[in-house]
Amino acid sequence: MARFFVVVALIVAVAVTAEAQTGVKKRRPLPYEYGRVILNNYSEKAGFAPVVFEHWLHRSKFTCRLCHVDIAFAMKAGGTSVSASDNMSGYYCGTCHNGKTSIGGEKVFASCSKKYSSDDMTRCNRCHSLGKNVKPQYDFAAFTQRFPKERFGNGVDWEKAENDGLIKPLDFLEGVSVSRKPLAVQKDFALDAKLESMPAIIFSHRKHTVWNGCELCHPEIFTGVKKGATKYSMVEIFDGKYCGVCHRTVAFPLIDCQRCHTRPVEWHKPA
Amino acid sequence: MKAWPVVQAATLLLAFLAASAAPDPRESILPFSISMAQEDWEKEFQAVCSRTDDAMILTVQELRILVQRCDELKTSIDRLEGSRRKVLLKRLQMCRDLYAFTLDTKERD
Repeated sequence: MARFFVVVALIVAVAVTAEAQTGVKKRRPLPYEYGRVILNNYSEKAGFAPVVFEHWLHRSKFTCRLCHVDIAFAMKAGGTSVSASDNMSGYYCGTCHNGKTSIGGEKVFASCSKKYSSDDMTRCNRCHSLGKNVKPQYDFAAFTQRFPKERFGNGVDWEKAENDGLIKPLDFLEGVSVSRKPLAVQKDFALDAKLESMPAIIFSHRKHTVWNGCELCHPEIFTGVKKGATKYSMVEIFDGKYCGVCHRTVAFPLIDCQRCHTRPVEWHKPA
Repeated sequence: MKAWPVVQAATLLLAFLAASAAPDPRESILPFSISMAQEDWEKEFQAVCSRTDDAMILTVQELRILVQRCDELKTSIDRLEGSRRKVLLKRLQMCRDLYAFTLDTKERD
């Protein structure tokens, strides 16, 4: 047991060292900041503040697949190069943020427009808000008050929130999404940790595909299908590869080791 | 002359039956014709990318045909402009990559 804690401490130390090697010490994001993405491909060039995108609000309403497959947002900040023209044409943010679409009974405010007056700036600042003192429409604490808690990340157990019926993320938008047959879910499987005394990982395909489908992860994030085909290292994962694409930014963070390393270690009495 | 309306009606009926017998593009794996009208390629896109959740249970031949259909669709989508082209190309690429990846895995087995 003591050896287990030593191993965990070593891994956390490696993660901190990996971060420190870049020369920038980062503080852990606060619950309402976790999953925040800053978009600035064109904003500052156009004279606007960079866009602040809050994942926590959008993930409570939509599955990952809807935005990252059907609406075609990239998995990395700045990777999509969304422009005002794209939004005005009804793509990307403009898919929903068009002043007409209703989500959960509420009309979604329109995003960019060609002509705008000073009165419109309040609307522009709802997204172009980095460095500005903009009061958001939804307060994180009030919004997540009833949700089951977890230790890290947003401090919200999103999976349990969905199981409890507190959130119902949309997976299909009429006119945008492709109608698909129900997914034939792949089985869960175990991945052995490199360290003998570290509990093995039980990977649940069901939990991931219910939000991601197949094409979000394969092959862009995970190039191997066969178990053991690709060797994953925690250094690479902490660096943002593989599991780290999501479990460093939006999903529960990697420092919550026991969420993945769940299979008990079988202790073999030495001969 | 009196038989002419009967002939017309029979022709229309035959045409209707032939159209009804046409396969639903959502079900068929076989490729569409390369030269597609706009509505056709949109239907083709829906048909091709609706199989991503089935990818693991499709046969090697079915996957090969889907990859081929994605490549044919790309030529139609490439002719579009602006945001629509950007979004649809990305979506098509994700479909194609998944089918190609699953095909590669099955061929190695």
